[in-house]
Amino acid sequence: MVSTAGRAPLPMRRGWGRKTTLFQYDQPAFWLYAAVLVATGWYTVGEQTVFRNISPSGWLLSWILLAVYAMPVFLAVYFLDLYEREPLSLVVGALLWGAIAATSMAGIANQGWGRVVARVSGPAFASQWTAALTAPWVEEILKAAGVVLIYLIARSEVDDEMDGFVYGAVCGLGFAVVEDVFYFIGVFGGSPSAVVAGFYIRVVSSGLYGHVLYTGLAGIGIAYFVSHKDEVPRSRRLLVAGGLFLAAVAGHFFWDSPWLDLFPSHLHTATDWLQIPLAAAVKGAPLLAFVVVAVVLARRRERRWLGAALGSEVGLVGVTEGELGILLDPRARRRSRRAMRERAGKRAARLLRRLQREQVNLAMVRTRVQSADDPDIARQREYCKSLRDALMAIPAAAPAGGHTGVD
Amino acid sequence: MEQVAIAPISPRERRWGPAAAVLTVLVVVVLGGHVVAGALSERLGAPVTVGGVLRLSPLSGWQLARRFGDPPGAQLTRGDGNLTFLWIPFRGTAEDLTREYVNQILTPDSQQLSVSRQFEPVVLNSGLTGVRIAYVGLFGRAHASIEGEVTAVVSPSGAGVVFDGWAPNGLLQYVSDDVHKMIESAEVR
Repeated sequence: MVSTAGRAPLPMRRGWGRKTTLFQYDQPAFWLYAAVLVATGWYTVGEQTVFRNISPSGWLLSWILLAVYAMPVFLAVYFLDLYEREPLSLVVGALLWGAIAATSMAGIANQGWGRVVARVSGPAFASQWTAALTAPWVEEILKAAGVVLIYLIARSEVDDEMDGFVYGAVCGLGFAVVEDVFYFIGVFGGSPSAVVAGFYIRVVSSGLYGHVLYTGLAGIGIAYFVSHKDEVPRSRRLLVAGGLFLAAVAGHFFWDSPWLDLFPSHLHTATDWLQIPLAAAVKGAPLLAFVVVAVVLARRRERRWLGAALGSEVGLVGVTEGELGILLDPRARRRSRRAMRERAGKRAARLLRRLQREQVNLAMVRTRVQSADDPDIARQREYCKSLRDALMAIPAAAPAGGHTGVD
Repeated sequence: MEQVAIAPISPRERRWGPAAAVLTVLVVVVLGGHVVAGALSERLGAPVTVGGVLRLSPLSGWQLARRFGDPPGAQLTRGDGNLTFLWIPFRGTAEDLTREYVNQILTPDSQQLSVSRQFEPVVLNSGLTGVRIAYVGLFGRAHASIEGEVTAVVSPSGAGVVFDGWAPNGLLQYVSDDVHKMIESAEVR
């Protein structure tokens, strides 16, 4: 039996890995999502048309540069969930909510709450603090509402903290991209040189710290609240989810506040430009570190679930002990495929990748069925065995040790 | 002990409830600020009347800073925000009155004055129409950087009224809401 690092075994996660899509027509949450997206879509299209008319070249350059930033971030977040990739329609749904619905509503809401701050305080205070006192609450609530809607649309898909992080981070990424276009055109001026300057300041220097982190953190909290109903009391789940949401708001507040603002007031010299990433790190690095720790913990937990789900399968035909050991270690998985490619060629490496994916699916099927004799799990075991047999039939694929994937 | 039957919650109710809760949160967050800001912008204190021609009601937080006689006018202030308003007998358009104010009042007291080229149309609650321009420049001996908006209306009876909302550069946006509201509700005879 494969060890889970000396910890107490986790209860098997029921329903882990169930697949569904965004388009759940019988769910009121889907129709709310769709209605808000369509309504705010008109607003977003109008805004982007204005930006394009102001500076066609700057607008196009903005989107090209932001695509260069957003694509790798999207893929990194999407593939961060090693064992259970979220359905693409739901991930894209979260992205669109952040990009279209949350940004449009935030524009209206920030203006309203900004008026309240100006009314209550006065212009001098408002000029310093409006952003910090309005945007963190408004924007984090609106983005988190998107993650909650994704959960309400496809409840079975948000079944561990990593899922919440993926949906939250992608939602934050969508928000960040559209907000950046607004800043590049509306604040920096929109000329190609201004767009490049804006890209350096907002993305190159600060891109690690913003909305992706905030909403990722809030997403972890939401996922914790909804996925631990059977194990953790409601009050504790509320405390954790509320605490993580407040941490996201606090990080956003700190970023927008005048506190520890080391950004240069003018950009005249090379030193001024170099000061920007340092100033951004002072404001953003603490939350980045916090989120990295949270994600690492969530991934470890997910790995333990995989071990728990497949533990009872070891010795049956679907997975061997050696294969499970490799399956639980992402680096070992990559190493095993590399070794297979060198030893037996690309086709064998592809087959091994498929076997490993289906063994993860075996774990997911195992969590869905009530009995170890369920026809679904039996079918999946046989499928894994057939893949292993096919792999072993390739000359040089079978190692001296006798099981696949082991060097 | 008598048992009380509790009606089970149907799956449909369970599905509608959370969606309705999310919708409520969205509505409160998106529109709440505008509602609260509107509620906070109450008219408090006595209206300020200038020469029996112009009557303006200050919003909460705004105070009468001074009055002046030639031309007749007054100034309201709130923190760093200010609204100066005055009237003169005038035969001409609101655009002409705006140019007159810029040339006679703003230009002599300023350096590097920059005025918007477009006249933005304005309609008061009373139905009177006027125009608005924006300006920015260095004013006074201290060369303070000021930004402002001049709104001019000319009544059918020949009263030319100018409202000048101004604040240190960068702060006007935080009082312009109040300024617009007070101007829109001004009464001109």
